[in-house]
Amino acid sequence: MSIYLIPVLFFLIFVYSLFKKVKPYETFTLGAKEAVPFAVSIFPYLVSIFVLTELFEASGLSAIIERIVSPFFSLLGIPKELTKLVLIKPFSGSGSLAVLSDIYQKFGVDSYLARSASVIYGSSETVFYVASVYFAGAKTKKLTAPIIISLVASFFSCVFACFICRII
Amino acid sequence: MNAIFGIILTISLGLICFLSPDKALSAMLAGGEKALYLSLKMVVIYAVWMGVFALMEKSGISNKFAKLLKPINKFLFGRVPNKANDFMSLNISANVLGMSGATTPMGIKSIEELEKHPDTEYAIAMFFVINATSVQLIPSSVLALRTSLNSSSPADIILPTILATSLSTIIGVLLVKIFLKKRKKKCQFT
Repeated sequence: MSIYLIPVLFFLIFVYSLFKKVKPYETFTLGAKEAVPFAVSIFPYLVSIFVLTELFEASGLSAIIERIVSPFFSLLGIPKELTKLVLIKPFSGSGSLAVLSDIYQKFGVDSYLARSASVIYGSSETVFYVASVYFAGAKTKKLTAPIIISLVASFFSCVFACFICRII
Repeated sequence: MNAIFGIILTISLGLICFLSPDKALSAMLAGGEKALYLSLKMVVIYAVWMGVFALMEKSGISNKFAKLLKPINKFLFGRVPNKANDFMSLNISANVLGMSGATTPMGIKSIEELEKHPDTEYAIAMFFVINATSVQLIPSSVLALRTSLNSSSPADIILPTILATSLSTIIGVLLVKIFLKKRKKKCQFT
């Protein structure tokens, strides 16, 4: 069903704009033109967040934190094999996708661990990426409270994911 | 962001000095390289989506659409300026439908628009939390990956994902309402 969503949506938008006598070529091109300065303006923020993610991994800090928090996570029902995914998800979408594929390979795609990992991956967002990119052009950088709230909420969904996959 | 960036960077660099000093620069450059690839990919994705959005804006669809979502937006964000409301509606619906390429440009535009007005701090915080807790209903990338690995029932995870992601968003919205509400000021926009 979802494969029809985008083509049908685009079709309707194009037909409606023609009907409204919007110049399609000109308007589309002008919109597309905005993409370049856009990508340029978020580039430095991406660099910062990616440098941070790489250092976090390469320095072994992520492995240390993984070892420290694993027992606490287990108490809440998050298996130790999934700790890394829960930790990396707020930083990096591509990094967590790699961890997810690893889990699929290691434990089999239909195992409990793989299903829980899928739900964790699908139900949370890369919080720090959103924080850096969405606010690329913003003046206010007072984000500490919203970031903490988002991390807490995402963590709850991870706990819930491991719980619900045990039942279903 | 500064505090978080500072703390993690300091500890990471401190550790790397002791454990593997040779890796420091290469790791940082690798990060930069990934950022470059991602931005190049983003230019293309944004160009297509922003072209379509321009059509939506010019033809007035986005405005009509935003009016439909106005009650929900009002509940979540309080009163927001009309133009910001348009962008925010598009961002949130793109999020729900899992059109990840479309969410970011609309998100940035929403924040820019909100910032032009005073007393929108609460709305910005709420908008951020909703985006950061993910409201995507169909986890398309996970489904694709599971299918490609011959899962016996790739769609098994849809229902749990919807439940988990709704839970995280609800918790996020509640926490914002509880902890940041006192900063919310009544204010009229025209």
